[in-house]
Amino acid sequence: MPLNEIFNWISHQLQILKNIFIFLAPAIPMTIKLTLIAFALALLLGLFVGIARLSHRGLIKTLSKIYVDVLRGIPLLVQIFFIYFGLGKILNLDRFLAGVIAIGVCYSAYLAEIIRAGIQAIHKGQYQAALSLGMTRYKTMRYVILPQSFRIIIPPVANEFIASLKDSSLVSIIGLRELTRAGREYYSQYFVDFQTWLVVGIIYLAMTLSLSRLVSYLEKKFKVHGYGISH
Amino acid sequence: MIIQTKEISKKFGEFIALDKITFEVEKGEVVVLIGPSGSGKSTLLRCLNGLEKIDSGEIVIDGIKLDKDKKNIHKVKEEIGMVFQEFNLFPHLTVSGNLCLAQEIVRKRNKSDSEKISLELLDKVGLMNKKDSFPNQLSGGQQQRVAIARALAMNPKIMLFDEPTSALDPEMIGEVLEVMKNLAREGMTMLVVTHEIGFAREVANRIIFMDQGRIIEEGKTENILNSPQNPRTIAFLSKVLK
Repeated sequence: MPLNEIFNWISHQLQILKNIFIFLAPAIPMTIKLTLIAFALALLLGLFVGIARLSHRGLIKTLSKIYVDVLRGIPLLVQIFFIYFGLGKILNLDRFLAGVIAIGVCYSAYLAEIIRAGIQAIHKGQYQAALSLGMTRYKTMRYVILPQSFRIIIPPVANEFIASLKDSSLVSIIGLRELTRAGREYYSQYFVDFQTWLVVGIIYLAMTLSLSRLVSYLEKKFKVHGYGISH
Repeated sequence: MIIQTKEISKKFGEFIALDKITFEVEKGEVVVLIGPSGSGKSTLLRCLNGLEKIDSGEIVIDGIKLDKDKKNIHKVKEEIGMVFQEFNLFPHLTVSGNLCLAQEIVRKRNKSDSEKISLELLDKVGLMNKKDSFPNQLSGGQQQRVAIARALAMNPKIMLFDEPTSALDPEMIGEVLEVMKNLAREGMTMLVVTHEIGFAREVANRIIFMDQGRIIEEGKTENILNSPQNPRTIAFLSKVLK
């Protein structure tokens, strides 16, 4: 095979990849925006539900367990359908909002369990010390327990964030123009399926890999503060 | 009478931890609780400051009756300081932070006041130079001394000690007992669960011997240690005093 032909072929392929990327690029901010807002919602809900899972009041404890079991027991794709086509038509939700709510609510269930485990991981003696210093349960949570839990839960929470970034691709099914949807549009117009999905995959990978590196950096940073078991 | 209990009982499932315990402590008294493991000594301390709820009976701390009223439970918690076997310092805060936290969020003191009080107390326990260290950078004896200072920072009227030296290496027991002895000499009301009979001999006014949730014998330190009456007390002391 002449060198000239190989060179032309490679150059042609790179041009295709470049065109795909240019087409997809405007959809990337949508993916990022969707993930960030949905995960923020998930954290907020997850914190409440996670603490509720440890409540002394039976009703709150039971309701939160049902919340977690239901949301972790149904596929996210089905939840997206339910929220957009079901709830969405009643409340007139747009695609973005439906996507945010679906991912936010679903992931809040997973985060609730992580937060619950993080709270339970703290030695009982910490509660006893705080309570015997006169702190209320709320103050104990806020100043003693949660700050310690925070450091423990960073790795699993960060992993959930990366997972939610990948799951944002499911919202393409209801027509939201995020990265995966843009990929489908390009493919249906130009029929370069292998190259299109190669570029889409590489873009997702670039995002998840840089997030993973950020997580490692954060883990190291929080280790410096000398947190360790005191006995 | 600063502590008064009337027939307090507590069960954990089927296990009887406390069986109709009645006793009193006067202001300024140092009372040492001795007895075998499982005798209810720790449970008794935890009931006094509200960490555990009693099933029946009455507890009165400095005129405040400890009952279901949450406000009373809080008032009592602020009057009583507790030191634990496992220290329970807050690992995410510095030594200074440990001492200041409750002062600022419970007693609502401002930062400079709480820091001033913290420094005075750290000086008292001999650890002023460690104020910016984290608990895991300190030895066990140092951590326990910080824990004592942290409890004292809330100006309690009563200090409860739950086996304060049991988790310490032998070389460090002395420094903690020294702090406790000074506290006793200053007139603090103290209720101490311990196996350190030497400490009891030096500063305790009274000794209470407990077994299986009941008070078997109590009395002045010299009397209990030199001439115990009850056979169970005699048996226990002979094992402990070797």
